[in-house]
Amino acid sequence: MSAVGFALAGFVIITAIATAMLRDTLAAIIVFAAYSLGMALFYTLLLAPDVGLTEAAIGAGVTTILLLVTIAKTTRPRAEKVFTAINCPAATLSVGLVAVLLFTVGSIPVENFLGEATPVTGAAGTPGESVTGHYLQSTYEQTGVTNAVTAVLAAYRGFDTFGEAVVVFAAGVAVVVVLHRGEFL
Amino acid sequence: MSGSDSIRPYTESEIIMTAVRIVAPFVLTYGLFITFHGADSPGGGFQGGALIGVVVFMLAFAFGIAPTREWVGSGLMTALAAGGVIVFVSVGLGTLALGGKFLEYGLYEPFLGPDATKWGMEAIEIGGVAAIVSGVIMALFFLTAAGYASQGGEDV
Repeated sequence: MSAVGFALAGFVIITAIATAMLRDTLAAIIVFAAYSLGMALFYTLLLAPDVGLTEAAIGAGVTTILLLVTIAKTTRPRAEKVFTAINCPAATLSVGLVAVLLFTVGSIPVENFLGEATPVTGAAGTPGESVTGHYLQSTYEQTGVTNAVTAVLAAYRGFDTFGEAVVVFAAGVAVVVVLHRGEFL
Repeated sequence: MSGSDSIRPYTESEIIMTAVRIVAPFVLTYGLFITFHGADSPGGGFQGGALIGVVVFMLAFAFGIAPTREWVGSGLMTALAAGGVIVFVSVGLGTLALGGKFLEYGLYEPFLGPDATKWGMEAIEIGGVAAIVSGVIMALFFLTAAGYASQGGEDV
């Protein structure tokens, strides 16, 4: 991974910790938007522009605005201190979980982002190579589209995408019901 | 939100209105490009639909939430969200009616020609996913801004 990648990773980790630590809700929302923007750039750097676009539009854009509208509707408590006190048991648990997850990264068969091969192509001689290679080779013949990600979403895994689309619709209906509204306002 | 509240969600600003007037057409064009070009470049219905919804957010921030809500209208959001689900289900059940499996696009070849799979995917991405996502995102924004119905939060 390049120097830009390490710089972005550092930025993402710092903004993530700041989001958890800041007492002021407005400051936390703004830092969370910066975190999402950093993640979007990071995904693009890892050759996943589809995920990067989603993170930029939903994470940095829509979520930030929805949270801003929410604190405009509720109260924003006055914060005396900039940072909140660290909850030691919770922090220990979180760091322990991250350590365990990092330990498993090495045994994922597809060579991870610290190596030469990206997760998109899959390292030679690993199970990831045959699966991703199959999609990359046969997508155009079988579906007629050149973006393999769209082909997997809409054709190979079309039924899953149908379920996700209905979940989005159901989320909108759930908000209508919770807010005691009769329709989409 | 009642007028006596100290925190007002909307302040009329010439700078924001001018900026949104200039930027909004480009964002809308980019959202439509991502939606309609998702088969051959990064993006697709989900990302494009989100960007189209964000254009409405920008208009609401610049020109006020209540006028924008009236301009968009409840009917359009309901039609987009529910219509998207209906389009997706129809494409899927259509192949079942033709004797195949759910979303087996190849069965549309007699009607759409050899590119039937591509056209079927475009139909569910543009007519299904993009419509659902843009409609629900606009609705979430206006619903959150309007708040709980029985607390007198109608007039934003």
